Amino acid sequence: MRSSFKSVAGQFFSSYGMLGVLLILCAYFTVTTYRDEPTTGRAGAVALAKQLPGGARIVIVAQNGPDEDEFVAALRDELKTRGFPSPEIVQGDPPTVREKLEALAKSATPPTVAAASPTCHEWPLFDAVKKAVPALANLDVRSPQAGRSSAFLSSSNLSNIADQTAVIAIIAIGMTMVIITGGIDLSVGSLLALSAVATAWLIGAWGGADASSGAMLFAALSAILLATLVGAFSALMITVFNIPPFIATLAMMQVASGLAFIVTKGQSLYDIPPSFTWLGRGTGLFGLPNSVLLMFALYVLAHFLMTRTVVGRHIYAVGGNAQAARYGGINVKRILAFAYVVSGFVAGLGGVITASQLKAGAPTYGVGYELYVIAAAVVGGTSLSGGEGRIFGTLIGAFIIAVIRNGMNLMNVESYTQKVVLGLVILGAVLLDRLRRQRRA
Amino acid sequence: MKKPGFILCAALCVALTGCNNQASNQTDTQAAAPTGSPSAAPAGKGVIGVSLLTMTNPFFKEIGDAIDDEAKKAGYSTTITAGELDAAKQRDQVNDFIVKKVSAIVLCPCDSKAVGTAIQAANKAGIPVFTADIANLDKTAKVVTHIATDNYAGGKLAAKGMIEALNGKGKIAIISHPEVESGMMRTKGFKEVIAGDKGIKIVAELPGNGDRALSFKVAQDILEKNPDLDGIFAINDPSALGVVAALEKVSRVGKVKIIGFDGQKEAKQAIKEGKIFADSIQFPDKIGRTTVQAITKYLSGEKVEPQILIPTSLYHKAEAEKDPALK
Repeated sequence: MRSSFKSVAGQFFSSYGMLGVLLILCAYFTVTTYRDEPTTGRAGAVALAKQLPGGARIVIVAQNGPDEDEFVAALRDELKTRGFPSPEIVQGDPPTVREKLEALAKSATPPTVAAASPTCHEWPLFDAVKKAVPALANLDVRSPQAGRSSAFLSSSNLSNIADQTAVIAIIAIGMTMVIITGGIDLSVGSLLALSAVATAWLIGAWGGADASSGAMLFAALSAILLATLVGAFSALMITVFNIPPFIATLAMMQVASGLAFIVTKGQSLYDIPPSFTWLGRGTGLFGLPNSVLLMFALYVLAHFLMTRTVVGRHIYAVGGNAQAARYGGINVKRILAFAYVVSGFVAGLGGVITASQLKAGAPTYGVGYELYVIAAAVVGGTSLSGGEGRIFGTLIGAFIIAVIRNGMNLMNVESYTQKVVLGLVILGAVLLDRLRRQRRA
Repeated sequence: MKKPGFILCAALCVALTGCNNQASNQTDTQAAAPTGSPSAAPAGKGVIGVSLLTMTNPFFKEIGDAIDDEAKKAGYSTTITAGELDAAKQRDQVNDFIVKKVSAIVLCPCDSKAVGTAIQAANKAGIPVFTADIANLDKTAKVVTHIATDNYAGGKLAAKGMIEALNGKGKIAIISHPEVESGMMRTKGFKEVIAGDKGIKIVAELPGNGDRALSFKVAQDILEKNPDLDGIFAINDPSALGVVAALEKVSRVGKVKIIGFDGQKEAKQAIKEGKIFADSIQFPDKIGRTTVQAITKYLSGEKVEPQILIPTSLYHKAEAEKDPALK
């Protein structure tokens, strides 16, 4: 048991060289986004309470939000155990805070020390209040001491990255299969838009903002079916009429996008109940977004399909050498068709997730996604010549792209430079593929 | 396998290190502040996260540049991004801002309705959101204030320009865009002032959807039906330029007076050449600066109006000739 785990792990790391790249990237961004950041929540409150001068009249200042509530509650308890007189509490947006502070200033015993949450401490509010209100001119404003932490390596950011990559990664499953067969599918971005629009339109038609869960589910399934059918149509063109995949899917990209614009008249459809955001914004197991859980589940399923089933082996065989596969008794056309249908299916699913995340459907969604999706597959080690590639490699590829985008955003890199870096990464990955091929030859 | 992998990693590190230098320049103001002390020393005021509609339209680029400049003056650092018309990308950018715990977020929504979910996420994290130029229409999402051109007053101003162009007498047409709030308000203001002038009569009003090609066709139809037309009000510059093309086709440029709206460079050039009589021009620079001022005001605890309107001004040939930006 133990040794088999070891061999599986060994195989995993040797097969997924890109995992190393991903880990290096993560380490890099962890270090570069390391900075002094004020300790928030309970820890911040405890640290702050230790520094407050005894006997002072304290006002706790915080804004709204879960972190801030925790800060206020923890600080109040801490002050109580330390024997401070019970503090005033001022919580809200800046105008509310100011109003309440000014009201406190008029009392017989105005506060002398403000214990502010880190966010409030950044506001120019205290300077303004001190100038404007004489009773508070000497207010001592304190905030939790800074601790070192990385903006990149925080649980909220990691969940954010997974959330951002979920749609691309899910669509990339289909793309990986298509590319392994030696083809390409350019229609996925438009299919995403068509599916998102169809979902929003059907929900609008079946009750709009009051639509039942059943209606929403049915709308989502219909939209996915629609995208799958478009995928099947591309497959038909490619297998029966021998149109090159590039051309067939390029044409479907135009058709699907055009249909999405026709259905919506170019507007966004938003007559959707709030509960529809469950898929895109709700959280489930381990606090991960539902879309991310779905992504992992689909990857496990696809990995199983590609490595443990006949269909999977045939997909590799067709991509490796279609002629040989045909002689070997494989129904090549059926395998090709399967890949494009799966690609349409996952693109449709991506559309439903996007519509759920944004609580609206618009024909402008998904523009340029085909390139991100292809990039995810290629960066993940799928060869554009077909026959080679791994499902989990694609997941890693999708994460590499998402991590670079997110990391650069956190580092304040402006968007023009981001494009250059992303382009270089994709180029680097293809270069890697070439070098590997040459070495083997 | 190992060697190429190493090369890629090295290339990546070099590329990213390059970015880092640039990034550290941008964040200097924040990094330099004494963050360790718990005292009243003013810390860096934090970051303003901006997601524009697109960087390719000079109007939004100018808003972004103005925000950047004004924010630096006020002691903030900025992160300026653009959704590039993609609502999902804009949502990702807002999520990154939330993770970064920026002090305020400025949005030019890519989709007035779909932007609601992103704003709600910011609301939940307690980060104030400001919209510039394009409003949020999702009522469940909370925006501190919306800063935009006063399209209604701008329409009135355009009407004054028309009365001036025709000396208060003549037949005119409107190329409108009734589906869009801004287009509607411009037409409304324009008509109200024209109604008070007995000499000018509106003989046609057709939608050009703010699109150059469609306005070109519509203007041709209008000219066909009203050969004695004296003036046309086009609700934005692309429409006005479409009308110019239609007039050029029938050699009546300059004879039919056009009043446009926006102040894009191409239209200003056309004003200089006498093809368009005047434009009611917008001020993206002022929209950007006013946005930062509203942020400072709000974070200082002052009340901010839910909407701040920036007036337009009338731009004639005389102004165009003095404009250093034009050839």
